Amino acid sequence: MTFRAKLFWAFTLAMTLSVGLIATGVTVVARRNFEELNRQHSKALVAQFQQEFKRRSQDVPHHVQGIADAEATVRMAIDLSRTASDVSVYVNDARGVAQAHQLDFLDFIGNDGSIISSAEWPARFGYKIDWITKPEDWTARSSFLMKVETDRGPALALMAVSVVRVGDRNLYVAGGEQLGKEFLASLVLPAGTRALLYLNLDPEFQPANLIDASGPAEQAERFRPLVERERQQPGEQETKIYWTADAASAESFYAMPLLGRQNELLGDLLVGTSQRNVVTLERRILWLALGVVAIGLVIGLLWSWWAAARVTRPVRKLAEGAREVAAGAWGTRVNVGGSDEIGQLARAFNQMTQQLTEQRERLIQTERVAAWREVARRLAHELKNPLFPLQTTVENLQRARAQNSDQFEEVFRESTGILISEIENLKKIVGRFSDFARMPQPELGSVNLNDVVRSVVKLFEAQFGAVGRPPITPELHLEDGLPAIQADATLLHRAFENLVLNAMDAMPAGGVLMLRTTHRHEDGEVHLEISDTGMGLTPEECARLFTPYYTTKVHGTGLGLAIVQSVVSDHGGRISVESETGIGTSFHIDLPLKPAVRPVSFPSSADEPEEIKAPPPAKTFEAPSEERQEEHNEAQKEA
Amino acid sequence: MLRQLAATSLAFGLLLTVVARSETSRRPHFGGTLRVEIGARVGSLDPGVPANFEEAAAKEQVLALIHNHRNRDKTYEGAGPFRVSVWEPGKSVTLAANGDYRGGRPFVDSIEIRMGRSARDRLLDLELNNTDFAEIPAEQARHASERGVRVSLSQPDGLLALVFPTGHPAAENARLRESMALVIDRVALVNFILQKTGEPAGGLLPQWTSGTAFLFSTSADVSRAKELFAQIAPSPRLALGYDSDDPLEHSVAERIIVNAREAGITATLDAIPRSGRAVRDAILVRWHMESAHPRDALAGFLDALHAIGIDAGEPCGALPDAASPEQIYDCERSMVGTYRVVPLVWLPDVYGLSARVRDWKVPASGEGWPLADVWLDGEAE
Repeated sequence: MTFRAKLFWAFTLAMTLSVGLIATGVTVVARRNFEELNRQHSKALVAQFQQEFKRRSQDVPHHVQGIADAEATVRMAIDLSRTASDVSVYVNDARGVAQAHQLDFLDFIGNDGSIISSAEWPARFGYKIDWITKPEDWTARSSFLMKVETDRGPALALMAVSVVRVGDRNLYVAGGEQLGKEFLASLVLPAGTRALLYLNLDPEFQPANLIDASGPAEQAERFRPLVERERQQPGEQETKIYWTADAASAESFYAMPLLGRQNELLGDLLVGTSQRNVVTLERRILWLALGVVAIGLVIGLLWSWWAAARVTRPVRKLAEGAREVAAGAWGTRVNVGGSDEIGQLARAFNQMTQQLTEQRERLIQTERVAAWREVARRLAHELKNPLFPLQTTVENLQRARAQNSDQFEEVFRESTGILISEIENLKKIVGRFSDFARMPQPELGSVNLNDVVRSVVKLFEAQFGAVGRPPITPELHLEDGLPAIQADATLLHRAFENLVLNAMDAMPAGGVLMLRTTHRHEDGEVHLEISDTGMGLTPEECARLFTPYYTTKVHGTGLGLAIVQSVVSDHGGRISVESETGIGTSFHIDLPLKPAVRPVSFPSSADEPEEIKAPPPAKTFEAPSEERQEEHNEAQKEA
Repeated sequence: MLRQLAATSLAFGLLLTVVARSETSRRPHFGGTLRVEIGARVGSLDPGVPANFEEAAAKEQVLALIHNHRNRDKTYEGAGPFRVSVWEPGKSVTLAANGDYRGGRPFVDSIEIRMGRSARDRLLDLELNNTDFAEIPAEQARHASERGVRVSLSQPDGLLALVFPTGHPAAENARLRESMALVIDRVALVNFILQKTGEPAGGLLPQWTSGTAFLFSTSADVSRAKELFAQIAPSPRLALGYDSDDPLEHSVAERIIVNAREAGITATLDAIPRSGRAVRDAILVRWHMESAHPRDALAGFLDALHAIGIDAGEPCGALPDAASPEQIYDCERSMVGTYRVVPLVWLPDVYGLSARVRDWKVPASGEGWPLADVWLDGEAE
C-alpha cells in the first residue's frame, strides 16, 4: 500500500469516525430528548386526568348533596322515620333521580343500611350496605373511588355520600359517576394519545377489565405485565409496548394507580402515547444524520484524496527521484517547494544527487585515466617486447653493414627473418586488441550446454595430464535432460575455454576442476558452474575481475574475463564469481533458454560484474593471457 | 225588586234542570262508545291462527265479545253482544252493539279497541280520560291508583313461576333447583316489584280457589340453599331466560339473580324475544288460570307444563274430572316437590276504568270482559 493510500485511508477513517460519532451522538441525544418530552407529555396528560378527576370529585358531592336536599328526598326521609313506613313505594325512585342529576349510581339507603332504592341495580333492594353505616363524617369527605356492584357486574365509581337526618334516623344518599369508557371519552386528549382504564375489580388480571373510550381494549393481554406490577406495587410506572415489529407501532404507557378509601388499588389509568411521531422524527433525524455522514464521507474522501495527494506529492517526487538515482540517473533533481520538512528533505536530496553526480564524474574521469594508463602500459609492454628485438636486429644489421663483414649476407638474411617474425608478432598483438574491440554478435542456434562443456573439457584433456605438470582432475556434473538454449555455440565455447584456462592457471600445483550444469525450473534458466581448487582471489580482485585490460599477470592482456562477460551478457545471461582464499574460485553463469533482448555492446570500463560474492580472504583471479591461449592453441594443433 | 225576583227564579230553574239531568245520568242507559286500549296487536280473529301469550289473551277477549259461548275445546259459537264493524288487523277493531243478542242489547253502541298501546300510554290515557277501559300491569296498579286512576283488580289468578325444562344439564340438578327455590325471596317480589299487588306463591293454585296454598312455604331459606348448593361440584352456572318484552319478568329475573348470588349461585340473565322463546336452564313463565275451579285450573297448568316438556308424574297423571281436594293437593305437592316448577307470585288482573264506566264487574277466571253490561255515564263523559 502506498503512502498516499495509507494517508487517504487514515484521513477517511478519522473522518468517518468523527462524523459517525457526531451522528450517533446527535441521534442519541435527540432520542433522549424525545423520550423526555414524551415523558413530560404523559405526565401532562396524567395531570390533566387528575384535574378532571378533581373537578368531577367536586361535582359528584355537589350532585349528591343536591339530591339529599331535594324536597322529595326530605319527604322520603321523614316518611321512613315513621315506625310503620312502607319503603316499597320508593323502590323505583333512585333511577329517575339519578337520571335527572346525570349520575350513574344512586342509592337511597335506610338507617340500617338496607337499600331502599338503587339506580344501578334496582333488584338489589333490601340488601344491606355495611360500610355506609359505619361511623364516618360523610359531610367532611368529598368523594372517593369505590367498587360498585351493578346488575352488569362490578364497576369503578367516583362516589359521594350525603346524609339526611330526621330525628335519630338517617337516610343515606350515595351517588356517583362511573369511571368507564364515558369518562375516558370525556377526556380531551391530543392526537396520538389515548387513555385506558384498568378496573381492578377481580382477584386476577382480567383482559375484559381493560377499557378505552370505545369499550374493551384490544390486545389487553399485552398489558398484563404492567397491570400485574401495578397490582403488586401500586405506583406510577412506565412501560413501552411494541404492537408489531415496527418500532413506530410502539406506545409508551404511563400508569397511575387509582386508590379507594382504604388505599386499596381499584384501578389503573394508563396514558398511552404513540411513538409513531417520535420514531418518525427519530428516523428523519437518523436519515438526516446518515445523509450528513454520507455527504461528510464523500467530502471527506475527496478531501482525504486531495490532502493525501498534496502531502504525498513531494514525497512521491522524492521517491521517484530516489528510484531514478537507484537506476543510475544520478543527475535527478526533485522540484519541491516549501520550507517545511519535506522541502528541506527535497533540497537535501538535490544536494546529495548533485554531490553524487560530481563524485561519479570525478570517479569516471579517474577510472578513465587509469584505464588509459593501463592500456598504455599494456600496449607499451606488449609492443616493447617485439620492438626490442627489432631494434637489436636493425642495429646488428647496421653494425654488420658498417663492418662490411662477409657474414653480412647471412646476418642480413637472419635479421630480416627476425624482423619479419617480430613484425608478425606486432601484427598479432594489434590484431588481438582489434578483435576485442570488434567482438562479433552471437549467431543464435539451438545449443546443448552439456555438449559445449564436454567439447571444452575434451579440448583440454591432453593438458590435464601432461607430462611434467601436476595433474588436474576434471569432474563433470552435467544434468541429464538439460534443455537446449538459443545461443552461439562458438562464442560460448570460447568463453568456457577462457574460464577453464583461468582455472588451470589458478591451479599450478594441480587440483580439481569441477564443471556442473543444472536447470533451474523456477526461472527456466540453465546454470553452469566452473570451480577450481586454486588459491582463490581477494575481494578487491573479484571486484575488478571483469574490468577490461585489468590483470595481475605479467603477460596478461586483461581481456579474457572481459570477453567472457561480454559473451554471457550478449546471451542475456549473468556471470558471477565466488572465491575464498585457499579454497578456490567458482564462476557461475546463468543463461536463459532464449535471450530476451539482443545483446548490445561491450560493457564500459565502469561496469561492475552483475553479482559479486567475494567472501574473504580473496584469491587472485585473472583472465587467461593471450600467450597461454596461443600455447594452448599450439598444443591443440600438435595434439 | 222585580229584577231580583226574576234572577232568583232563573237560578232556581237552572238548579232544577241540573238536578234532573244528574238523576238521569246515574241510571243505566244506552248509547256511547266504549274506548278500550290493549297492549297486544291482534293480527287475526281466527282462533286457529297461532298467537303468542299476550296476543292470544287479547284475541280471546275480543272473541268472547262477538260470540255467545266458548266451548271446552276453546272454540266459539253463536252471535255475541257485539259484532265487528271495523277491523284493522294489528291496529284497531270497532265492535258495534248487536241488537239481536239473545241476552239483550248491550248498553254501549260500540266498543272501539285500540291495539298496541304500551302500558305507559294506557296509564296516561286513563289519567287523561282518553280511554275508558284498559288493562294495567299489576306492578303499576298501586302507582296508577296513587295517580288517581280508577283501578279494578281481579282475584290473583295469574301465576309467575320459574320453570326448569328437562334436557338442560343445570336444570337436571335437583339440588340446584331446590337451592333456587329456597333462595328466592317471594315476599320481596310482591312488596317491592309488584308493589304489594299480588301474593307470594308456593303452590300451583291460589289460596282463594284451593284453600291449601298456605301449606306451601313461600319464605326464603338462604342458609339451606347455600348448603345444598355447596354440595354441587363443580358449581354450575345457571342461565335464566325471561321474556324480553315483559318488564315484570325482567325485574323479577334480576331479583332472582340477586337472591341467587346471596347463596353463591352464579346465574346470568338471558333475555329471550317473545317471537321465538328459546328454552334455557331456567325460564320465567306466566300462566293464567283458565277456570276458577281448582281442578280445571290445575289441569290447565299441567297442560301448559306438558307443552314445554315437563310431565306431571304419577299423582297428577290420574287426576279425575271430579278430583278431590286431597288429590289436587297431592298433585300440586308432587309437582312442586320436583322443583321443576317454582311458583313465585300470584298476580291479579288489573283494569283501569274511566269515571264514566258504570256497572263494571270483575270477570271471573277464564271469563271474558263483561263489557256488554257496562254503560257510560254521560255526565262523566
